[in-house]
Amino acid sequence: MIKNLSLQDLRSRALELLDQRVRIITAGMGLKELRAVMRGDPPTEKPNPRYRVHITSFIFHIRPRYYQQASTWFTHTFRLGYFTTLFFIIEIITGLILMIYYVPSPSEAYQSILRLEGNVAFGSMLRDLHRLGAEAMVAFAALHMLRTYLTGSYKKERSFTWLTGVLLLLITLFLSFSGYLLPWDQLAYWAVTIGTSMAESAPLFGNEVNLLLRGAPDIGAGGLLRFYLLHVVLVPLLGIVVLSIHYYKVSREHNISLPARIEEGDLPKDVKKEATQRIDFIPDLLTHEVFLACLTIFAMVVMVAFFYNAPLEHHADPQKTPLDTKAPWYFLWIQGMLKLGDPTLMGVILPTVIFALLFAVPYIDRNPYRMMSKRPVAVTLGLLFVAAVLVLSYMGTPGYGIETPAAIRIVQDLAPEEGVGALREISFEQLEPGIYEVGKTDTTALPPELGLVFIEFERRVNEAEEAGKLPGVQAVMIIEDWQAGLKKVTPRIIWSDPESGDQKTFEKHIFLHRDRGLGGE
Amino acid sequence: MARTQLEIFIGLLLVSIAVVVVIYVGFNEENRMAEWTLAQEAGAIEVGADLFEINCSGCHGVKGEGIPGLAPPLSDQFFFTQRLQEVGWEGTLEDYIIATVSTGRSVSTRPDQYVGGGKPAMPAWSQRFGGPLRDDQVHDLAAFVLNWEATALGKAEISELPAPTPGAEEAADPVARGQQVYVRGGCAGCHAIQGISAGVVGPNLTQIGQVAATRQDGVSAEDYIRESVVNPGAYVVEGYQPNIMPQNYGEQFSNQELDDLVAFLLAQE
Repeated sequence: MIKNLSLQDLRSRALELLDQRVRIITAGMGLKELRAVMRGDPPTEKPNPRYRVHITSFIFHIRPRYYQQASTWFTHTFRLGYFTTLFFIIEIITGLILMIYYVPSPSEAYQSILRLEGNVAFGSMLRDLHRLGAEAMVAFAALHMLRTYLTGSYKKERSFTWLTGVLLLLITLFLSFSGYLLPWDQLAYWAVTIGTSMAESAPLFGNEVNLLLRGAPDIGAGGLLRFYLLHVVLVPLLGIVVLSIHYYKVSREHNISLPARIEEGDLPKDVKKEATQRIDFIPDLLTHEVFLACLTIFAMVVMVAFFYNAPLEHHADPQKTPLDTKAPWYFLWIQGMLKLGDPTLMGVILPTVIFALLFAVPYIDRNPYRMMSKRPVAVTLGLLFVAAVLVLSYMGTPGYGIETPAAIRIVQDLAPEEGVGALREISFEQLEPGIYEVGKTDTTALPPELGLVFIEFERRVNEAEEAGKLPGVQAVMIIEDWQAGLKKVTPRIIWSDPESGDQKTFEKHIFLHRDRGLGGE
Repeated sequence: MARTQLEIFIGLLLVSIAVVVVIYVGFNEENRMAEWTLAQEAGAIEVGADLFEINCSGCHGVKGEGIPGLAPPLSDQFFFTQRLQEVGWEGTLEDYIIATVSTGRSVSTRPDQYVGGGKPAMPAWSQRFGGPLRDDQVHDLAAFVLNWEATALGKAEISELPAPTPGAEEAADPVARGQQVYVRGGCAGCHAIQGISAGVVGPNLTQIGQVAATRQDGVSAEDYIRESVVNPGAYVVEGYQPNIMPQNYGEQFSNQELDDLVAFLLAQE
């Protein structure tokens, strides 16, 4: 019997079995076809087996079978929506792993982050990935919206798609913002305190909304748990639902828009024909998408490994308001508006109006044309809006428009409450104990690193004196050995108050430990 | 079509590089975690130093040297080598510090050394027992106190600045000098003056400059204060226990210091 089975038979039988398996896995594509796909050959069978996959497999079923050539031009979409979705998926995966280590209670939350960073292999990388992915997701969602606006892709039948898109932007912002609180450090606590206090200033029901969000007049255990549950359950679920609708509208109903000049432009027929040619999803677009995913993973891994560190400040302290409170960058524009006027108007009513206008863009803009040259008003307004957001964001940075007393500012810049600052960068050995007085101490005799910082301190003090902010100023910096491996630095500034003439003193005690500079933030 | 293959090739390349980077990071993880933990402990000591200065130095001294009659030293050899045996504590010194700071102590373990028989010895500091500090702050305080071990056991030495308390001799104003006496002498541990100290064992002194004159007929505000410092039993405010305040301030302070302290207290209005 064995004699009857020639080697060739065995081989073809094996190939047949393998082919069967492959067809099951690829939902309809055989070995031959798969090879053709990899080579970039045209389909080998009829009807096109690359379309069969879309009928049998769920994942491919929700993808279109083909796109029109021009709608896939990189300079038309920049793949911004795809990247946003990709970041959302990365957030879900890293977020699920982070949930293993995180405890949503004020007494444990910060500790659990410390444990994650100091005790879990790749813990820091995981947190960085999650944080970076979140910021990228916000940025790409906003850019995606800008692109859609500029190419006029929200018009006519795509109006509703735009509406779900704005909803997704809101969801993305709230996802990011609710996650901001979870590490329970000073940064988180005060940014969210400011954010929710805006809700408090809403007319009529502000107090109730605030209570619902925070669970108490101030953020505490209740507030943290609420934000945690919103962040890990409710908002992601909402996001998935709205994203599905948004995506379905794009891929199954109206397709990605063609560039306006193909649709409306005065182009030769063959150019238009070429531009509207079909591109099969398999293999061209699928490969491209997987390639973009590889690129994203590569970029993120390199970023978090070498350049990006998720910030972690001191433990949240409701009793200690930091000098420079800062909203996350994507909310700086609101912080900027808050500096302009009444919080109810600037923090609640205006943002609501802005988002209402965004929602209504396709219904307000009745201009049927999509090309930029045919809609100058819309494009100008859009660019003005972008410029306004950028200017407001700049105004929202902590330094803008808020006058801190000179002495406090000088010391804060020297050794900020959070982060590093010039003083903490001096190596421990160079912090030579002694009393150094501005204008009297010979800076050349100091150890070089300390000398540089002291010269800067001197310069700032003298500058403030010349500006009339610190008349008759006397400033010292005292460095003491405090414990083994611990030094105490006391910058002290004494001046006479310009108005009352009273003598005023500001001093701060800064403790510096030898091992502080090794890691962490 | 070549584009598909190029993308597959570059994609694979990028993912391989990413994997290499992850492996590289993985090899460094042990080190990174160790360094991070060390830096975190250093940070805890820094925070603890700040908390100690605000909350503890009033009774235990600026550098944990203790104040006779008021509170024991925390930075001497005895504390690190014999204290646990003395009180019969089975756990670690860190646990002992955390437990003591958290719950406080209603009776001193060495009543004979402290005025008032050491009752109450130390208030509770943890929020769980009605104090002002969170658990992580208590932990940071313990890290700071433990960091005295090296100098207490003579393993390390630290330099002292030439001037005893920097800035002390610069202050020409007796009130400013008096404030330093107030803090250094340990008054701040038990008495409250708004903006300076928050002790609750003794009477609040925020307005003592006004109140002192009205306390006793025929006794001027200055005499009233001076007598109360030197001889605490002379006039005891209603509602407060006698014999709690140290009786030896007359010997402990120089005449100059006493004058400054009185001047400072008179200025509290």
